[in-house]
Amino acid sequence: MSGDLDTGAEITWCTGCGNFGILAAVKKAVKKLEENGIPREDIVISTGIGCHGKIFDYLDLSGIYSLHGREVASAEGIKLGNPDLKIIAFGGDGDCYGEGLAHLLFAAKRNIDITVIVHNNGAYALTTGQASPTSPKGFKGPATPAGSVEPPIEPIGLLLSAGASFVARGYAGKVKHLSDLIVQAVEHPGFAHIDVLQPSVVFTDYYEEYNELVDELEDTRSTKFEAMELAKESDRLPIGVFYREERATYEEELLRTRNPVKDRLSDEKRSKEIRDFLDM
Amino acid sequence: MGSKDEVKAMDEELFTVIIGGQAGQGVKKAGEAVSKFFLEKGRYVFEMDDYQSLIRGGHNFASVSSSTEEIFSHHMRADVVVNLDKTSYEMHKEHLTPDGLNFYNSDEIENGEGIGLPLTSMSKEFQRPQLIMGVAGVAVLAAVVGEDKDSLISLVNSVYPRGKEDNTAFSKMVYDEVVDKVESTLDLKEGDCRNRMFPGNHVIALGAASAGLDIYFAYPMTPASSILHFYASHGDKLGVTAVHPESEIAVANMAIGATIAGARSMVGTSGGGFALMAEAFSLAGMVESPVLFVLSSRPGPATGVPTYTEQGDLGFALHQGHGDFPRIVASPGDMEEAFYLTADMLSLLWKYQTPGIILTEKHLSESSMCMDVDPSKVRTVEPRMHEEDTGYKRYLSTEDGVSPLKFPPSKEAIKWNGEEHDEYGITTSRSEEVAAMHDKRYMKEKAILEELKDRHTVNVYGSGENVIFTYGSTTLSVREALRCSGIEAKVVQPIYLRPLPTWELKKHVNDRSIVVEQSVAQQFSTLLEDKIGLEPTSVIKRYDGRPFDPMDLAGKIKEAIR
Repeated sequence: MSGDLDTGAEITWCTGCGNFGILAAVKKAVKKLEENGIPREDIVISTGIGCHGKIFDYLDLSGIYSLHGREVASAEGIKLGNPDLKIIAFGGDGDCYGEGLAHLLFAAKRNIDITVIVHNNGAYALTTGQASPTSPKGFKGPATPAGSVEPPIEPIGLLLSAGASFVARGYAGKVKHLSDLIVQAVEHPGFAHIDVLQPSVVFTDYYEEYNELVDELEDTRSTKFEAMELAKESDRLPIGVFYREERATYEEELLRTRNPVKDRLSDEKRSKEIRDFLDM
Repeated sequence: MGSKDEVKAMDEELFTVIIGGQAGQGVKKAGEAVSKFFLEKGRYVFEMDDYQSLIRGGHNFASVSSSTEEIFSHHMRADVVVNLDKTSYEMHKEHLTPDGLNFYNSDEIENGEGIGLPLTSMSKEFQRPQLIMGVAGVAVLAAVVGEDKDSLISLVNSVYPRGKEDNTAFSKMVYDEVVDKVESTLDLKEGDCRNRMFPGNHVIALGAASAGLDIYFAYPMTPASSILHFYASHGDKLGVTAVHPESEIAVANMAIGATIAGARSMVGTSGGGFALMAEAFSLAGMVESPVLFVLSSRPGPATGVPTYTEQGDLGFALHQGHGDFPRIVASPGDMEEAFYLTADMLSLLWKYQTPGIILTEKHLSESSMCMDVDPSKVRTVEPRMHEEDTGYKRYLSTEDGVSPLKFPPSKEAIKWNGEEHDEYGITTSRSEEVAAMHDKRYMKEKAILEELKDRHTVNVYGSGENVIFTYGSTTLSVREALRCSGIEAKVVQPIYLRPLPTWELKKHVNDRSIVVEQSVAQQFSTLLEDKIGLEPTSVIKRYDGRPFDPMDLAGKIKEAIR
């Protein structure tokens, strides 16, 4: 793995895209995590399909470039295979809040120890700017020329309802702040979600609005209710950790102390167990 | 429902019991008790459970056939029928052998044909009158064949450990009632079978465990669900974790994820669930993930007939997933094969890093028969690994297309990519790279074909000029039909369906070939026509959700080869 985590792949995001901020924040976070004792070889990533997914090619980290909407399921599978690994799933808003929403909510519900980072740009950018689950009502795109007739979903409240034990919002324009959120999310023992406000310079160039409205939170909220109320604010856009709690993780409950790839039965032991079963 | 010239079973030791009743009357458990009764006499047993997709009411029955010789199917002509309710009585009147004894519930039917037993009023003396009814099955059998009461009670206690006192008392009452009413006992010879019996799904689960399965992912769907239940109950001992996530889509994608961590993963479902896994199946082909998919068929299309059997998913299995990529599809013809084949498939898939399918049907998944396997005979093949610390490329080009594996944590990035990629696993759309990766994966297809050429790929049973092509659980029906009818024919059953072992199958093609399968569109026959130019003189098919009755099938085969 290269020191700067680069793969040498040509970056094909538009100049000025919010994705650059997210990429920079992830690299910074990985270095910080290493200082904190989590080596980069323990970090495995998954991505969905969309502009966000290209981050797979730009990060010199192990993982899978999965299907549209399935990055969370892929991430969970890797975690269950080897719970010692730290998994980061990257999704898009169409991808993770649309096509793959069920996986996201269930991952939050079961509190599996993975981190999900959603590059929320409010549009299907790679497919030429259709309205996404987080596009505002009235959003104009090639599939909604007269404006979208659907209101958007609010991801923070949704994740909290589903049972996420760590929910944060970041902004691609504040790399240092975002990188700090990623470190906290990966270190959080349980399911961690970061919704990242990510302007697309072509379809949703909200930089100006975000720069004006984004407001760094001082503290997390002590109840889910307060965190949900905070997420509804529209006169400012709070960023930071909205809510966190600690509860048993899915893999602790399911596997207890067993690591499927490290604690395999020997061939003899397995054979004997099967023989015993057959002879029972 | 016999064919025009009914064929009588030549096996004089064949003894079949049918127990029918409502869901909730313990019919399946009654089948298990009867099976155990036969097993304890050293007899070979086959049990088929026919049940509906409901929890209470309806009509369920178990058909348990046994013999002193190895048998391959249940029969639908019974020596003893025990009807717990009226519906059962009406349905199974026609399922008696000429000398068969028909027991009916005289509280529900007046002056029925056969021997009336006041089952409802007898059962009312106990705490759970509905649930206890099924115990009557084995009690009737014991009385009819002259088994002593003590042996019956010890068997009842071992099969029905809960509520021992009630079960013992009820079985005694039924036993005495039958002894009173039946003049002479039937003769039941003991056999030399020392094997236990298992349902196909448990055997598949054990086979995968013997080859080192680490995690089983599944969403409940009949008739595959009992694999999930098996691992959930016994996985701890066998070193297999059972995971039941939110959907079949999650199941398949998680299973792929687990392989990236190095875990051997399997999933199981039926047609509808397998349809939801289509995109992930294709992803497994692209990222080269060796997930084993168990597809246990029931009648389709759509939700179809959830608890019955069919072979309408052959084409689906052969063509699952979009795009070109290698896969292995295999279908076991009996329980022992289900064990070794599942184990073998897991190793084969890891050797070639591509997805594969164990195609089976409800008839094998949920029926039980005597079998013996030796887990120490399973040879697990370790996948090709990249042992060095440098120079890793996930999709390294090699002679046979198989790139060495590496699992995290790793100092070098291991990039599995669902988009077309270069050797490192970085996305590409460059024409020469796209073609090269297609070639690489296609090389594996050729390598798999070569490997199969050195393996046992086709089972042949019997001999003669008449050839019967069949596959999967229908093989059991065909073998039992021939065993009991004395019809001379050679049964040819491909174990692998993709790649299809054409080199072996062609050896058996002649102008007296017929096909037996359970698909209205005769998918298997069409496959053989396409691949080996088979022109069968007849295709015998059944597609009403029920497995063939062997004697009924024998009649049809006799007609077809005349």
